[in-house]
Amino acid sequence: MTTGVLMYCFDTPELNYHSLAERCVEQIRKYLKLEITIVTNLETFKKFKPLGMINYKLVENSITNTRPYRGKSVAWYNKERALAYEHSPYDTTILMDCDYFVFSSTLLELANTKFDMMLHDRVHDLTGKDMIMGKDESTLPLVWATVTLFKKTERTKAIFAMINHVQEYYPHYRNLYRIRYTNYRNDYAFAIALHQLNLGNRIPTPMAMLADSVDVIGSDDDGIVFKYGNNVNFTSGQDVHVMDKEWCNG
Amino acid sequence: MDIGNIKKHSDRNFEVAQAKKNALEKMRSRQLMAYNERLFKADAYTINLVSTLRQHSKDFYVLDVNDNPCHVKDPNDFLNKLIERNQETLNSYQQLHHDLAKERK
Repeated sequence: MTTGVLMYCFDTPELNYHSLAERCVEQIRKYLKLEITIVTNLETFKKFKPLGMINYKLVENSITNTRPYRGKSVAWYNKERALAYEHSPYDTTILMDCDYFVFSSTLLELANTKFDMMLHDRVHDLTGKDMIMGKDESTLPLVWATVTLFKKTERTKAIFAMINHVQEYYPHYRNLYRIRYTNYRNDYAFAIALHQLNLGNRIPTPMAMLADSVDVIGSDDDGIVFKYGNNVNFTSGQDVHVMDKEWCNG
Repeated sequence: MDIGNIKKHSDRNFEVAQAKKNALEKMRSRQLMAYNERLFKADAYTINLVSTLRQHSKDFYVLDVNDNPCHVKDPNDFLNKLIERNQETLNSYQQLHHDLAKERK
């Protein structure tokens, strides 16, 4: 039985996701010590510094989506994630955004249990300002696709088939679940698929997060230092999803 | 005390309370533990449950965090692992708590 990490990474005209992925790889190597596969495009692949033993899978990605980021609308290449079942070479996959940074071995504990698919359904805003979860964004029990653990089973295959279907007919499902945002979000597509199929386990602790208005001003291999307003705070030994996409650019 | 000082106290207390909340979330996350392919929280509830059931039977079933049954064949081994993880996370929380208490003074 193999276990590994699968990441999707596509640079956009505005943001260098490859810098985040490089940092993410360092953390995975230190705390999880698992094999890593990065799905990317040729343009982004050329920008990666040498990272040692990494499996790269080159694809031509869809470029039709956008997202709001710090008051602007920016390109967002997130649709390939629906193909993770086919792209993953592992029996147990930790599908992870390249802006999720591990500072503990908690994901290994989760990977060593029985499940089809497991993901977070709650978040913990490290600033205490509750900036992440909006109110009445949909009628759906929301999950976060940021970190998704899945095993290759028939049930998981059905979940990903459903996710692809939801992606194809997203306007219909968006109306059905009264999702406020018009752009395609994997969080919603995964949540809809799990809701339709009545499958999936939840990670029992919330995902620690920093909203995109929070600046990361420093880091080492144990944690990060962040600034919001006039406050500076830090994390240590805690996995965290960082929505500031520029902090690894130097 | 003038309003400026009260505001400073209020800001500092908010920061301390938030640091405590973050540390507790970290502790709970680190208490997640795989055993027999099931997922448990190494918290006081699980430790008490296993410790109590162990006194009545050499092996037994408990529910994991997803309400799946787990056959515990070696209660002592399970209990030791739970206590070890629980104390490891509490020690780390205690250190931060100590630092925060100093900051409040």
